[in-house]
Amino acid sequence: MTVRAVGYFRPGDSWLHHRHPVTKVLALGWLLLAAFLMPPLWLPALVGLLAIVSWTSGLLGQLVGSLRIPALLFASILIVNAFFFPGAREILIPLGPVGLSLEGVVFGLISAGRILVVFMASIVFLYTTLADDLLEALIAKGASHRLAFVILSAVQLVPRLQVRAGAILDAQQARGLRVTGSLMTRARAVIPLVGPIVLGSLIDVRERTFALEARAFGARHERTAYRVVADPPRDRWLRIGLLLATAALLALALGGFLP
Amino acid sequence: MTLTIDELRVRYPGRREPALSGISLEVEPGKIAAVVGRTGAGKSTLCLAACGFVPRVVRAAVSGRVDLAGMEVTTAPLAQLAGRVGIVFSSPALQLSSSKPTVREELAFGLENLGVAREEMDGRIERALDRLGISHLAEREPLALSGGEQQRVAIASILVMGTGVLVLDEPTAQLDPQGTSDVAAVLRELAADGRSVLVAEHAPEVLAEAANCLVLDAGRQVALDRPAFALRSTILRPIGLEPPTLVTLAEAADIPANGTFDEKEIARGLGVLRGRRPVEEESPAEKTKELAFLREAAPLGIEIRDLRHSYAGAVEALRGVSLRIEPGEVVAIVGQNGSGKTTLAKHLNGLLRPDSGMVAVGGNDISGRLVSDIARDVGFVFQNPDDQLFNSRVELEVGFGPRNLRLEPKLIERLVEGALGMVGLTGEGSTNPYDLGFSLRKLVALASVVAMEPPVLVLDEPTTGQDGPGTRRVGGIVDAWGTTGRTVIAISHDMEFVARHFRRVIVMRAGEMVLDAPPECVFAYENSALLASTGLVAPPAARIAARLGLTTMPADASSLLSLLAASRAAGGSSPEADRH
Repeated sequence: MTVRAVGYFRPGDSWLHHRHPVTKVLALGWLLLAAFLMPPLWLPALVGLLAIVSWTSGLLGQLVGSLRIPALLFASILIVNAFFFPGAREILIPLGPVGLSLEGVVFGLISAGRILVVFMASIVFLYTTLADDLLEALIAKGASHRLAFVILSAVQLVPRLQVRAGAILDAQQARGLRVTGSLMTRARAVIPLVGPIVLGSLIDVRERTFALEARAFGARHERTAYRVVADPPRDRWLRIGLLLATAALLALALGGFLP
Repeated sequence: MTLTIDELRVRYPGRREPALSGISLEVEPGKIAAVVGRTGAGKSTLCLAACGFVPRVVRAAVSGRVDLAGMEVTTAPLAQLAGRVGIVFSSPALQLSSSKPTVREELAFGLENLGVAREEMDGRIERALDRLGISHLAEREPLALSGGEQQRVAIASILVMGTGVLVLDEPTAQLDPQGTSDVAAVLRELAADGRSVLVAEHAPEVLAEAANCLVLDAGRQVALDRPAFALRSTILRPIGLEPPTLVTLAEAADIPANGTFDEKEIARGLGVLRGRRPVEEESPAEKTKELAFLREAAPLGIEIRDLRHSYAGAVEALRGVSLRIEPGEVVAIVGQNGSGKTTLAKHLNGLLRPDSGMVAVGGNDISGRLVSDIARDVGFVFQNPDDQLFNSRVELEVGFGPRNLRLEPKLIERLVEGALGMVGLTGEGSTNPYDLGFSLRKLVALASVVAMEPPVLVLDEPTTGQDGPGTRRVGGIVDAWGTTGRTVIAISHDMEFVARHFRRVIVMRAGEMVLDAPPECVFAYENSALLASTGLVAPPAARIAARLGLTTMPADASSLLSLLAASRAAGGSSPEADRH
């Protein structure tokens, strides 16, 4: 497996690809807040919105495909809450000491829905935003080098960890470790991965620091740019709109108007 | 800009011994200073301190001065150092931003950080790419390139920043011979431009360019002189290093040490030695490593038929390779960076699967077998040990493979002990592999595969990052592995290592095999043009032998000298000395 600088980025020419990275960061921020602050009945609307956005950018198929990753998580959240909700009163189907409760099902659906929105929004963002464009855009908008680097690292974290995990899996298989087969075999294969990945990410931080220092990153406040990240005029209006929407959402939540 | 290092002492936290104790060195504009020494002698520390990485990025207690045109480097902030001094590391992972989609933008990154005007960038990028011979890679994704190609990009990425002082820490470790000569030529040009260059190196091509050569041992200066003096056997042998082959030959020919690495002159000087008994060789006898701890195994051969492989969205890496390796053969695969060597090797244990064609081990097609199952037959040692090591203790790492094979605990213990002894790491069992340096981590990786007793051992660049003794140790293991009747297949850029330890050499170029013959034939004068077309050159002893008109190809200095002694005295200088 080779390391990809582009991470999850899917090159494309859709309207979403052409939005300025900072516009997309603001939209992502609003969606994450909305998932947790808005009344749960809005969750289907948010999921629908994200589905339309990804469909119009030609990414719906890939987005649906990627849902198999958190599918197990959704299922476990639903089942655990449905059967083991503490202090549940409306038991639908009693099963000995536990039972399928109405409160549990509702709570499980809400929790899974929120995580679904967070996951979809993040994936759509990563699919359409080149990490490097984000870095350049943030610096161009006046973000400090350190902040820009932290955000870049965060965006690249998961793909880099995946690459590292892939390399270690290769090394382990090359030394006789079975990683396919029964569920038990797979589970056993995961455990020896955890330590090295944590260790690997520490090494990764050191490598990043060396590379950036050697290339004089952060040496000067006035940087020039080789590639200009497009910032169409209507993105400006979009950003103002998103900032207002975020402010409104926070005001409503803090004012106690949202449940 | 003159770089002056004065009484520099460096001690890393938690270490009792200093990494450098009282080193002084001056690098003047237009001059190249080289640093030589065994692994751990302090070469990297000196490089890091010369550009301010120690102590700004890597914490250490530092005393003494590093002066760059009146500025104290050890305390200067990045803003003052940037644009004045640049450093190239031996591993591209430490150099590349890893966020850029193309090589061109990777090079632009440093210019952006220096605030270079946009109009200037393209010209500077083109020149840097051209100097390293990688203009054709400009639009490729840096992290999808081969290791050697990435290292060229890494060097270009620092070159493009145009600093007055350039520091390079073993820049050619991952490069093919052509790449090494290219780097030597680039450094010569930079010095001619008036830059000051400090380079830690093993490669004689680069050392030959130096005005001054600092020899370090355990953080102390052993010698500081012109290369021909500093690299003499009387200086290097006591600290456990072998002089470069050309220096050994020059000494044998009794050429006055006036700074020559000139092959023509050395050949002339050696010509008069024909028929004379050579001075008794002092070179340490190669110890055959004890491999008695390995159990008997049935030898296995390998067959590859019309193998093709492409990486997604990249060029075709293998374009129809057919090959038969008999059980017990010891085979080297050579070729320039990016010629498909690693891709080929990774097919042998199923890490990569053919797009078309077939790979058989021991007569059986491996397409249906899991990598974990093939591992019983084919042991694969990765080029980068950090892609391979993942345990917190050396003994766990080395025992990982045998445990997967479900061997008896007693036997596992014996194998771990034997494998660690073989690589010289007895007693390091409870050390964390990442507390060992790169070259020792590579030996741990090798031991971890050897402990599985595979009938076929595949080594990807086993000698990179090893100093002379380390390379000899790896060579001894290859020899011993062969004598147990097992098969060895190794990828290498070190032609002398190949000529010494392998009996069959496969030359690759652009995804195809272009030559498959014993080393005597591959490195014969008749094939030098073909070798050059794939970025290779014969080892120095063979080149000198060709100049002397010898028909047998010697692998190293000592075999050339015995050949000369055996050949009939031709009298006077040989006409072939002027052949090139």
